[in-house]
Amino acid sequence: MPKPIVTSPAHQNGKLAPPAPMPNYPFTAIVGQEEMKLCLLLNVIDPRIGGVMIMGHRGTGKSTAVRALADVLPKISRIAGDPFNREVVEEGDPLAPPHRKHERIPVPVVDLPLGATEDRVCGTIDIEAALTQGVKRFEPGLLARANRGFLYIDEVNLLDDHLVDVLLDVAASGWNVVEREGISVRHPARFVLVGSGNPEEGELRPQLLDRFGLHARITTITDVAQRMEIVRRRRAFDADPLAFLAAWEPQQRALRRRIVAAQKRVAHVEMPDDVLMCAARLCMQLGVDGHRGELTLARAACALAAFEGRGRATLDDLRRVAVPALRHRLRRDPLETTDAGERVLQAMEKTLGAEARSRSS
Amino acid sequence: MTLSFAEIVGMDVAKQALLLLAVNPALGGVAIAAPVGSGKSTLARAFAALLPAGTPFVELPVGATEDSVLGGLDLEATLAAGRRVIARGLLARAHGGVLYADGLNLLDERAIAHLIGALSDGVVRVERDGLSEVHPARFLLVGTYDPVEGEVRRGLLDRIGLIVPLLPQTGERERAEVVRRNLAHPPNGDAEDETTMLRAMIADAREHLPTVHIAEEQMQALVQTALSLGVEGNRADVFAVQAALAKAALDGREAVDDDDLKLAVRLVLLPRATRVPAQEAPERRERETTPHAQGDQPGDPNAPAHAQATLEELLLEAAVVDLPAGLLDLPFAGKRRGPGGSRGAALSSRRGRFVRAVAGDPRGQRIALLPTLIAAAPWQKVRRAERNVGACLDVRREDIRVKRFRDKAGTLYIFVVDASGSMAINRMREAKGAVVRLLQDAYVHRDQVGLIAFRGQQAQVLLEPSQSVERAKRALDVLPTGGGTPLASALLAAWRMAQQARARGIAQVTLVLMTDGRGNVPLRAAPAAPPSRAEIQAELQQIATCIRAEGIQAVVIDTQVNYLSQGEAARLAAWLGGRYVYLPNAKAAQIAMTVAPR
Repeated sequence: MPKPIVTSPAHQNGKLAPPAPMPNYPFTAIVGQEEMKLCLLLNVIDPRIGGVMIMGHRGTGKSTAVRALADVLPKISRIAGDPFNREVVEEGDPLAPPHRKHERIPVPVVDLPLGATEDRVCGTIDIEAALTQGVKRFEPGLLARANRGFLYIDEVNLLDDHLVDVLLDVAASGWNVVEREGISVRHPARFVLVGSGNPEEGELRPQLLDRFGLHARITTITDVAQRMEIVRRRRAFDADPLAFLAAWEPQQRALRRRIVAAQKRVAHVEMPDDVLMCAARLCMQLGVDGHRGELTLARAACALAAFEGRGRATLDDLRRVAVPALRHRLRRDPLETTDAGERVLQAMEKTLGAEARSRSS
Repeated sequence: MTLSFAEIVGMDVAKQALLLLAVNPALGGVAIAAPVGSGKSTLARAFAALLPAGTPFVELPVGATEDSVLGGLDLEATLAAGRRVIARGLLARAHGGVLYADGLNLLDERAIAHLIGALSDGVVRVERDGLSEVHPARFLLVGTYDPVEGEVRRGLLDRIGLIVPLLPQTGERERAEVVRRNLAHPPNGDAEDETTMLRAMIADAREHLPTVHIAEEQMQALVQTALSLGVEGNRADVFAVQAALAKAALDGREAVDDDDLKLAVRLVLLPRATRVPAQEAPERRERETTPHAQGDQPGDPNAPAHAQATLEELLLEAAVVDLPAGLLDLPFAGKRRGPGGSRGAALSSRRGRFVRAVAGDPRGQRIALLPTLIAAAPWQKVRRAERNVGACLDVRREDIRVKRFRDKAGTLYIFVVDASGSMAINRMREAKGAVVRLLQDAYVHRDQVGLIAFRGQQAQVLLEPSQSVERAKRALDVLPTGGGTPLASALLAAWRMAQQARARGIAQVTLVLMTDGRGNVPLRAAPAAPPSRAEIQAELQQIATCIRAEGIQAVVIDTQVNYLSQGEAARLAAWLGGRYVYLPNAKAAQIAMTVAPR
């Protein structure tokens, strides 16, 4: 009996079985790319940071990292079977399950695949029910599934413009409204938007960039030792995913614990006035419009302090999150050859210098 | 009529790559560059025949619609059965077998995106038509493309483990053999035996693969070579290691040897090279590689550091030997000259093809009748109950689907910048600023910008039409200036770029010429006597008239200081039928404003 060329337990006798879930590569086993990892974790700790856009070249592990994130997230509680992952629902809500039992589920990380149609993203009328019973029933879409979790869009620059607009509207308001066949549904859709893209595939609209709290840049690793480590781990994982996962479980568990502790702590992290002042000054110096820059800076700095088990944000926290929090908010100057991140760093040093002087005098 | 794998003459590299893929599916696929009529599809079919009986072989046609690639609701079956019936797409149908794509470079942008998704996740995610499905889609991709028709999108190529660059022209004798074998068909017994043998070899090698050993030093040599060749991303390292392992397994060896590494460099790393490694003095290289060639094992604990350096050099050397002929065909190399593709070539060449139907307002757009009826169909039962009307079809506004043709192409701005003479540095800087500014404003319009500079003997394409600010900046960073003014050559290059853009469906082309208009280098090879001014002017006029006849818009920005000008630039503008703007100290913002549509 000849063996199939690509073996998969899911594919038997030509019948379509749901594929066995392919295990994710463990988050803690990802080599390098610290900025991306930090940005993702900060968003886990405080979702109000407003998501992250990851820009980088092909083959640098963007999707791997986002999908890996799911496995280090703590579980959340919801009403069992609620399509919107809600913890509390109003009495008489027709879309809620009839009971009030709770269950714990992993924080959802929902993939928005390219080619997704608007009806699947926002939800639509259940086509099967309409066909067979002639009744109208709302069928929730990806936005419902992503409520209280993460929505991941790979290759944001290839997404249809109209879909991007819909997503941004929902992300901003936290509510998804669907009108179809005379049915009107409004449900919560609060999620952390994670996007990834390749700068060579074309530019992103500035309005779109601005909506992401953080902007991480990743590059090809050029350190030989690190690259060898990537190859080694990848091979080990491909050869035996389960054994690999087992070997990394202690690190995964430790990170999970750390995240839970940070989530509890973050609301109480103190933001000293001088740090806040410094954030404002930095934004002014860089000519960042609006106040989103300062807000993101402050939240990210607090989340970082919480992640490291501290109760107070410092200037150093600010320094460490300044680049991803601001690099996409600078005014674009076509003749500027300095990298935006570099400019943020320079301004940061200037501001901190002024800060130190004012303190010593 | 099909030839067996063994009977196919030539294409040895491609055949070897396919065998490696059969042994090690972790390589993802093989991309083969080959001209029309070189027997690519015969090869793909013959390859599939090597695999166990019943292995799916699915063809991904260039014009495949999103529906057929991804799959979706089978409306007919759904209506008949009264429950949803799902039609699997091409990617899912290739699961467990071979997906053959002839014309990798001609696939629609979205089809490419789905293909990339399947290659990296092993599944197809369908979120459309009220369906939410995940279909397994692990397959061996065999893709071919004719480089003359443009490049393959890099994101796709990046996920295909093995890349076979343009196959060398087959020799006379081989050609004769090809014909003979084709005539001699049906196959003789030998060929059948060979097929059986190859099958057994593949099966053996697959079994054997997990136990093949690769030394740390060998892995390091591959990684180091990838770095030296400027390979982007870290995926290629993994592919290179997998390719070397597959080769060793195929040869029935327990451990990877130097030849395996060389093959990995040739099929994985070299095609992804973005730069040519610095050549060293040949004597030095020879001296260092000799001891190794004599059988010094890289794992030898006595001289590990030395052996490593040597091994890497050996690989690089092999790569460099391979390079010269194929250098211009390196699909990953940044700048490309002459005709050939560009990023945009990834779009289908069939201009204005109806791609898909989307919900929308029918005013000013074309209604897609069938998709509209399909959209309305499922709701008939509900609506009939609601309105209590007869058996007529109830189509509502929200059902209406309008046709979307290929993503609306914007304008291509071709900047042609004079890099000769003393003012060149200034001009280049401002041109660069204008290019980047246009690109940044261009997102909504999907405009593209290309850039041609000219100095010395001829014009040079610095940037093929692109939407990427990053690429533009990188292309413009270094440019030598000074020397003669080959204006005619520049105009010709611009005309070519415009032609290629048209072939991809970008109808609107605007030429932005920044020059003083004083061409002094003729197009044709310099004759004995230096050409007269009149000859050069005549040449310019000829090309300019051609450009005008093509309906290409032109703007001539005269950068000459006033008192020196003799009206050359203005005259050129008149020949081109374009606008003439006098901006001796043009600033980036001014240029962008002048050029952009008002």
